Amino acid sequence: MRFSTSLAIAVALLMPGADAGSQTPKRVVRVSAERFAFTPSQIVVDAGEEIEMRVTSDDTAHGFRITGTSVNVVIPKRGRGEVSVSFRAPEPGRYVFECTRMCGAGHHFMRGELLVRNPSASQSRK
Amino acid sequence: MKFDGSIYLAAFLCLAATQATAQTAPGDASVPTTGPISGYMDFHFNKGEAADGVLDFHRFVLIVNHSFSPRIRFVAELELEHAFVEGLEESGELELEQAYVDFLMTRSFNVRAGMLLVPMGIINERHEPPVFQGVERPFVDTVIIPSTWFENGAGVFGEVGRGFRYRAFVMAPLNALEFSADEGIRNGRQKGSRSDVRNVAYTGRVEYAGVAGLTLGASAWSGKSSFLAPRLDVQVRVGEADVRYKRNRLELRGEFAQVSIDDAERLNLTVGQLTGVSPNIARTLRGFYAEGAYRIWQQGAGRDVVGFARYENYDTQFRMPSGYIPLKQFDRDAWIAGAAYYPDPDIAVKVDYVWQRSLSSVIIAPNGFNIGIGWWF
Repeated sequence: MRFSTSLAIAVALLMPGADAGSQTPKRVVRVSAERFAFTPSQIVVDAGEEIEMRVTSDDTAHGFRITGTSVNVVIPKRGRGEVSVSFRAPEPGRYVFECTRMCGAGHHFMRGELLVRNPSASQSRK
Repeated sequence: MKFDGSIYLAAFLCLAATQATAQTAPGDASVPTTGPISGYMDFHFNKGEAADGVLDFHRFVLIVNHSFSPRIRFVAELELEHAFVEGLEESGELELEQAYVDFLMTRSFNVRAGMLLVPMGIINERHEPPVFQGVERPFVDTVIIPSTWFENGAGVFGEVGRGFRYRAFVMAPLNALEFSADEGIRNGRQKGSRSDVRNVAYTGRVEYAGVAGLTLGASAWSGKSSFLAPRLDVQVRVGEADVRYKRNRLELRGEFAQVSIDDAERLNLTVGQLTGVSPNIARTLRGFYAEGAYRIWQQGAGRDVVGFARYENYDTQFRMPSGYIPLKQFDRDAWIAGAAYYPDPDIAVKVDYVWQRSLSSVIIAPNGFNIGIGWWF
């Protein structure tokens, strides 16, 4: 598989009771990876929301895994395109995302958080 | 460190291990995995003014990692410097720069123990050759901050909110009897080799990386470093602040670092009595630099040419204890200008020229020409 073309991976995360045929628009989140941080490092979404993450690297190849889910991909090196991950946000909670490919001395610092909110709770706050 | 302190530290690590094991998330396969091996290499040609050129395989570094589980992981970095080891440091060094176990608990709180990098400055934790400009590391990150600075210890790290990161470690201290006039605290590193922990050092770093392209950092280190001369009270403090900013083709960096050494007057007397030579150790060392880099040319698939210029000012005799006169040859500044060609984002072919000056009219700091190839794999 060539990294020069975007890699599209559809990941259906299990969410009991979710309507698989929902027509809600997909929300695109752009994430940049660089030794040793993801930017943004905290992403807030609503449970059940359709998400497409487009992840690029500004240096070497990194890994991108969201713990507790099946999202686990390689981010190509700088200048070699992006990796795109589509999924439905899982149940409310905090999910760590992290680099899974050794990228240097600070590799284990390279972690972020997917914060999934309860949509009804977030509506009531608006 | 007192015996009681050791017990508390051991108990804390045991608790961390238990917590990390207990919190393994459902859905994460707990299959132990090893590797693959990664690392970096640094191959240099250095030609100083009025000196012969030198070809040096400066660094050969292998990194191994193992995941006992998704939350308990081991990393080690073994470095061979200057290609050959023959007992004395002048020939080469074999160093265990990192060897730690991480207990990953939450995003905001994790525990690390083993051989650790001191979280100090831009370069000490980010020293892979394609990451920094110039064939050699900045002088400030060598002479004022003794990179690569590593030591035995344990501590915590994590990230809170949108981009606030911290590390806080307890580590073995420096050995002040090895400090010097020209290289400051560098030779005081115990390097984790049967490190004396009669006293401990405390170190930490905070970073803000919440805005795309911008990283702000500040580091501190403090430790009583006269364990081999108990009647001295040499408290050493290192403070540092740095900024990195990247936008489109432009990258800017700046760093300021200062070292203070308490009781430097009596330290000089003691070392003088032990060795017969006064080391002329300062009570304050200071350095700073500013660097601009621009991606002059870029082609698809990550091929680039980056030009850069850096100004550095570093003085290991910045303030002297009473009765000692600063040696002017160690009040130095330098301009470094050069370029790097990246045939791949993980390979940097570098060339630069170094103009050095010192305040001494007798001892001239030599200029130099450098070529290097560095790669990460």
